[in-house]
Amino acid sequence: MNALEVRNLTKVYPDFTLDKVSFCVPRGHIVGLIGRNGAGKSTTIKGILRLIAAEGNIDVFGKDIFKDELTVKQMIGYVGGGFRYYPMNTLSAIRKAYAPFYPTWDQGKYEKFLAQFGLSEKKKVKELSEGMKVKFALALALSHGAKLLIMDEPTSGLDPLSREEFCDIILQLVREEGVSVLFSTHITSDLMRIADDIVYISQGSILAACPLEALLGKYRLAHFPSLAEATAANAIGVKSVKDGYEGLLTRDMQISEDTVITDATIDNIIVHLEKANEEKRYG
Amino acid sequence: MVNLIKKEIALCLHPTAFIFLSFAALVFVPNYPYEVIFFFSCLSVFFCCMMARENGDIAFSCALPVKKEHVPLAKMLVVIGLQCAILLLVGAMGAIKGAVLPAEQYVNQAGISANLALVGNGAVLLGVFNLIFFPRYFKAPEKIGVPFVIGAVAVFLLISVFIVLRWATPLYSITLNGLNSENTGAKIAAFAISVAVYVVLSAVSCKLSMNNFQKIDV
Repeated sequence: MNALEVRNLTKVYPDFTLDKVSFCVPRGHIVGLIGRNGAGKSTTIKGILRLIAAEGNIDVFGKDIFKDELTVKQMIGYVGGGFRYYPMNTLSAIRKAYAPFYPTWDQGKYEKFLAQFGLSEKKKVKELSEGMKVKFALALALSHGAKLLIMDEPTSGLDPLSREEFCDIILQLVREEGVSVLFSTHITSDLMRIADDIVYISQGSILAACPLEALLGKYRLAHFPSLAEATAANAIGVKSVKDGYEGLLTRDMQISEDTVITDATIDNIIVHLEKANEEKRYG
Repeated sequence: MVNLIKKEIALCLHPTAFIFLSFAALVFVPNYPYEVIFFFSCLSVFFCCMMARENGDIAFSCALPVKKEHVPLAKMLVVIGLQCAILLLVGAMGAIKGAVLPAEQYVNQAGISANLALVGNGAVLLGVFNLIFFPRYFKAPEKIGVPFVIGAVAVFLLISVFIVLRWATPLYSITLNGLNSENTGAKIAAFAISVAVYVVLSAVSCKLSMNNFQKIDV
């Protein structure tokens, strides 16, 4: 049974459509949701949590969120970026209002996270830095025994050390408690560090949903001296770079001997697939 | 639901929600349109909604393990609690006024006296406000001004109607006016009917608000 199954999630706005998004988060896996700004990552997460009125089926550990909303939400820990709520209230007041919603709330665990993150409950939300707000949101989400963590850019605003700390905590939760994780991010180094699978979304549609290794293994980055050669090689998303042209090639594509080939990173894959997508759309 | 209500009280109530309850003491002001007291209760709802918007409360609440439609219901139940408190306080203050002041000072030249019928008028005012304000507010919680202005205009128009009735009809100027000890049966009947109207209007408002809120994007 998958931790999360999203089937045909659709949301139509006047200028944007989340188009039948389908993917799953296998139990005990960390899945990175990637895509450029405005691709539909946050809309997808909001649709999963019913924060927006979207169509489609959402199952969490086999339970339909539309039928068992309360039970399902108790299994989910949600971190929507930094903690942007109740700036004038103390962390203590917020925790007191938040904890009773979760019968599995672990006060000891919460206090451990506060100590680890260097947070004081006496502080008001407005007194926290952006990074500290993310840590507070994490402390709340991680302290009620959530089986599925859904996070919308949790590491943005965190310094490198805190990001490393975040990755360590997530890995520890997955290994020791079997938690499953879906998180959106722009910081691909975090994905490389912890993600098992990738869901790549572009302009409201899923372009790839597969294991990270499979995505990285699918493409190679090719450097061409001229545009003609890049075109001849059928390279994907060819763009001009400092010393020629770059494009993606799938492993099965034939290449000439003088083409320089390197392993493609996630950044390379996103940049060139987006470029190819734009070319397809605008000609 | 209980947890949501506790969260509302702990994080979402603007101080005016409590301060305006003390305005029930305005029944001691001679010759004042006492129905205006209930408008302050409506004003405190406006401030609470403003505070909820500034605090991102709706998004926070919807992410909690609750049914989405329970978010507006909890907010409205807290407001209904506050409205019941102001109705009770106005009734109590009116009774105290009747007991301690001479009968001639109890007569109100600007509207109906501070008696059970006034509490009934207040219930109708608050019910009408609930029906107008909340379904509109929960259709677009970031836009509080327009629903409040429409609600406030309706409340003041209704207050004007009650004042006109006080001078134009014997029912309001004689039967339902004056001390609770006079024409008690009629006043109790008016109060009971008004409370029934309040319950019906507020229940309809809750239902419409819950339906409207289901359709919005947080």
